[in-house]
Order: sequence, then structure tokens, then C-alpha cells
Amino acid sequence: MNECLLCDSTIASTPTWKALLGLDDTTIICQDCSKKFVHAEIRNDTDELLDQVTSLYSYNEAMRDYLHQFKFLQDIALAGIFAHELHAQLKGNAIICPIPMHPHKKIMRTFAPVDELLTSARIPFTHLLEKTGTESMGEKTKDQRLVMNPLFALKPGTMIQPTTYRLVDDIYTTGTTLRHAATVLKQAGAKRVEAVTLIRA
Amino acid sequence: MQNPFDPAIRDFLTGRIWLRLHTPFSIETIDEHIEAGHIQTIPGIISTKSLTRQTNHFCNRCENTTPSRFTTFNCAKCKGPCTYCRHCLKMGRVSTCTELIVWNGEPPTYPTTHSLAWLGTLTPRQQQASNELTTSNQTNIPHLIHAVCGSGKTEILFEPIHKLLTAGKRVCIAAPRVDVILELEPRLRAAFPQTAVEALYGGSESTTASPQLILATTHQLYRFRHAFDAIFVDEADAFPYTAEETLQRAVRKAAKPQAPVHFVTATPSDKLLAHMKKIGHISTINRRYHGHPLPVPRYDALWNYTKRIQKGKLPKKLTEWTQARLDKNEPFLIFFHTIKLMEQAEPLFRQLNPKIAAVHAAHPDRKQHVQALRDKKIPGLLTTTILERGITIPNVQVAVVGAEQLIFNKGALVQIGGRVGRSAHYPTGDFVLFHHGITYAMDEAKNEIIQLNKGGVPT
Repeated sequence: MNECLLCDSTIASTPTWKALLGLDDTTIICQDCSKKFVHAEIRNDTDELLDQVTSLYSYNEAMRDYLHQFKFLQDIALAGIFAHELHAQLKGNAIICPIPMHPHKKIMRTFAPVDELLTSARIPFTHLLEKTGTESMGEKTKDQRLVMNPLFALKPGTMIQPTTYRLVDDIYTTGTTLRHAATVLKQAGAKRVEAVTLIRA
Repeated sequence: MQNPFDPAIRDFLTGRIWLRLHTPFSIETIDEHIEAGHIQTIPGIISTKSLTRQTNHFCNRCENTTPSRFTTFNCAKCKGPCTYCRHCLKMGRVSTCTELIVWNGEPPTYPTTHSLAWLGTLTPRQQQASNELTTSNQTNIPHLIHAVCGSGKTEILFEPIHKLLTAGKRVCIAAPRVDVILELEPRLRAAFPQTAVEALYGGSESTTASPQLILATTHQLYRFRHAFDAIFVDEADAFPYTAEETLQRAVRKAAKPQAPVHFVTATPSDKLLAHMKKIGHISTINRRYHGHPLPVPRYDALWNYTKRIQKGKLPKKLTEWTQARLDKNEPFLIFFHTIKLMEQAEPLFRQLNPKIAAVHAAHPDRKQHVQALRDKKIPGLLTTTILERGITIPNVQVAVVGAEQLIFNKGALVQIGGRVGRSAHYPTGDFVLFHHGITYAMDEAKNEIIQLNKGGVPT
């Protein structure tokens, strides 16, 4: 007997052999709440910067509420809701590189949402980039986003191999963030840069 | 303690327990007051190891202790494992490294001149209950006003509240449901025109004032501590107050240690009745203020109503009942046990009259729809149990669809019936239970109403 992380209603669990053997993932949100998230599975092969972008869900009211509770109310328990889907999408040989947060912002928020998503999905990751400024994308217009100075720099002492890298972010809106990050990796010698985001706005 | 302080901060913080970093004042000003000793800081979460090496957490704001309602994570701010409370998360997160603040300096004094502008007169029974309540206040004894729906419970409180206010005391009326608070607010503002009154509920405007009389949902009391000289809990048996122990603790915490917590309800639970018999006083009123009996429910079988509605047809009896109300121009409420069934039925009712609307707890226009019914702009409302209490609409007729459902327990049915015939101009009305089989709860509710009408006291 456990309660849904989003609506607090009791989740009715049907006994299964898998659950009995402890092989099943425990459900942490109820059927009603999970139905409200809409799968997107958008995959575009884009330009020479981003070789592929995959988004798992589309942005809707349920997603907006989720992001609000997870990022702004700082409810870290919600990181695990999409763990299963993220794990399926991100497992493999590519090197996983989450979009970094500015250290000050991370302390303010007490956690990095993207890192928490990966941790609960049991995906190992390395931080190869660092944020240069503290500005946030959400406060800018599209035109402002396009003419910005580089957002990211390579972390001192990191070596980029001629192999495949996968950037991970929570939401894809205009793609500016991911393109900035991909530019840095490509210039440093990455062969292929893909991106996975949880949400496509 | 000789340092000067900002009276605005004192007024705001007195009786409240607040996040240090989220006050309406600047962080520097708060820091200065903490340094001067006017404000005390309290850690957000207290964690203790029990003998079995299990860690127990305690939230200092909402007093939650349920282990599953806490989450521990690796905090970037305090560089270590940090626990936060998920129970009161929506009021701003409280974690191990979050500090809460309370006023520790000189308490403010509240005005003692208040006028009571209510011009009505109490019935002898109301007056007696009112006097008994005042006596209980003087001796700090908790009191239960057990009075039937429509007996004028709020008016009974006016005199005792006025006496408390003129003694410079701080008073709170709390209710589990926001609808009750919204209904009470204009009545209390009108009754106490000189008094600083504030209504607090999720989404209410926040001010920095220090109101002497506070109307609040019980959830809002998580943010208060040792604030009130008396608390009146209205509709104490309503969900979620009885179901959530933390809410009951929150009410206790919001009252000063010696201050009484009073209850006002038409349908006290057996537990509350027994508890109040043991530790306090009870006043019972079994007549409505206008002296007319409570409407007795009538049963009407509505077999397989779920299937019919799912097939897109309104059961004939329900159509006839609704049509009769429309023809006679009588406002009506139709109660459903689930939102789903109600929303399936809504378009079917719209065929009878396109203005019929539906409301439920999460409905954005709930307030407007209820007001529209009162203003006779719409003929009737479909509703979940959310409107079972606290609302008064003259001449309203009530039907329950699926009265045999578990959610309609005795208390809920008595409350729903209590919507009917509240006004002295229309002291009667139809109260019909459409059912797919009669339950004990329906019979208990009917018997209780008959008993009350005979002048008996339910136990």
C-alpha cells in the first residue's frame, strides 16, 4: 500500500509474481495521474550541431504542474516518476552529459533537477560542461536567445573523445541551450552529439 | 532586548511560524531582528534516531511524523543528507537546513473597542447556547455546539466572539473547507465592522496586517503557533479534518497552550461527542431558528442509474424531477458520488436547460457558479459532496443521485438535507434520495432527522 506522489490517493496494487520476487518497479504514481502525461517520442535528425534530438513527453497542464512541483517547490521525490522511461531511452554506450546548472543556482535550489532525474533512472553521467553565467532561459525572448554569448564552456581538465555524446535536459523549447552545449562538444572533437529531453514544449 | 524593533514585523510574526527566507520583509531586516533577540529561529525538521536505529522525522511547521511523507536527499546547500517534509510542501519547502522563525519579543496589544453590528435576535435556545459558550470561554473549557443545519450556528458565535475581542483577545474561526470560509467572511465582516478581520485560504491575498479575528481553513493553521486565545472549528466533522491527524494537531498548535478549542457542527462524530462529554461542555439545539421541522428525506428507486447515464440517457424519474423544478422556477442541487458520473450526466441535463452547470472540488469556477445559483442566473447545479455544507440558497430543492454510495454516510446525508428549507420564507422543500438499494446510512440519517424533529437529542 503506497500513496501516489502527485495526488496522495492510495494506489491499489494487484499482487503479481514479479512484485513478490521484488523484480517489479514500485509504482509511485497512480493510474489517473500517469494517464495525464502525454507521450511524445519526438525524434528529429537535425543539423550538423545536434545529430539527433529525442523528447519523451509533450508539454501539457500535467507536465507544467509536475515541473512546478519538482523544480520550484523542490520536491525531489518526483525525480523518480519517469525513471523507467528515461532508463530505457538512455541506456547504451554513449557518454551521458547533463546540461549543467550554475553552482550558485544549484545551491539556491539545493539540487540539480536533471542530475536527479538521471540518478533515479540509474544512468551514470559525467559533467563535462560548466555554465558561464547565471541567466536563465525562461526569462528571455526567442530573439534574445539567438544572439547570446556562449552559455557553456568545457570544464577545465576534461578530454573529449571522438565518440558519441548524449546531452540530457528537462525541457526542449527552442533548442538554444542544447545547441550551445553541442557547439562546445563538437569544437572539442566529439564525433556525434545527440540529445534527450524529458519534455518537448 | 532594549534594541528597537519594527512593529510591522512584530504584528506579522506574532503567532505565526514562518520560513526565514520567505517573509514579506527583507532578509537583512529579519537578520537584524534575530540578532537582537526579537525573533527566534527553529530548525525545520527534527530527526531523531530510535532504539531500532530507525530515523524518525518531525516537521516543526505541520507536525507531520509519517515516515512516508518525508524524503531525504543529498543537499547542495547544506552539503549532506537533508530531509524535507512533503506534507506541507505546497506552503514552501521545509527541510533540515531550512530555518523557521517565530516572534520572541514583546507581544502586541490588540484593540478593545469593537462593535457588534448584527441586528437580529437569537431564539431562546440560541441565546442559551451562546451564554453557555461565553461561560466556557471564561473558564477556558472546550465547548461543542451541536446544532442542526439551519439553526443559526454562526449567529450563536457572535456574542462570545465579541466578548473575547473586547477583552483584547485574538480569535480564530477555522473550517476544513474553503467554501465555509468564503461564506463566513462577508457575514463576520458585516457583524464586526470595527475589527481587523482576515480570511486565509489557499490562494487568498497575503497581507502583512495583524488581524485580531482570523477566518482560516484548517490547513492554513500549519503556519500559526500559540496564536489564539480561542479557536472555533466550524463543521469539525468535514473531510479532511477528521481524516488527517496533522490538521487536528495544527489546530491545537495554533491555539495558545491554555486556550480552548471549540467545535461547531450539525453532525458530530461519535468520537467527538464522547470526547467533548469527557473534557468539555455541550450545547444542543434541535430546532431550526425559524421553528419549522427539518425536511425528512424521501426515497425513490432509480435502478441502474449508472448504466443509463453511461448510455447517454437520463433516467425518467430524474428528468421528471428536474423538469418539475425548472417549471416551478425553483433552484436545485443534484448531488453525485463521483466527478466522472456527474460529468457524464452534465450534457444530458444541458438538454433540459443549457444553463445547468456542474461543480466539484477542483473546478476553477466553483465560486462563480454557486453565486450564479444564488443570484438566480442559473436554474440549478450538479455537484459532488463539496457543496454538502456551508451554503445557503433560499428555496433550494435537493436530490441525491446514488444515495446508497459509501461516500453518502449518515453525516453527509444529514448535511445535504440541511441545505433544504433554511430560509424562513421557504421553510420546506423536496429532499429526495434517488437510490439503487437502501443502505443503513440512509435509514440512520432519516431516523436521526425524525428524532430531532420530535425534539429528541441524538447520541
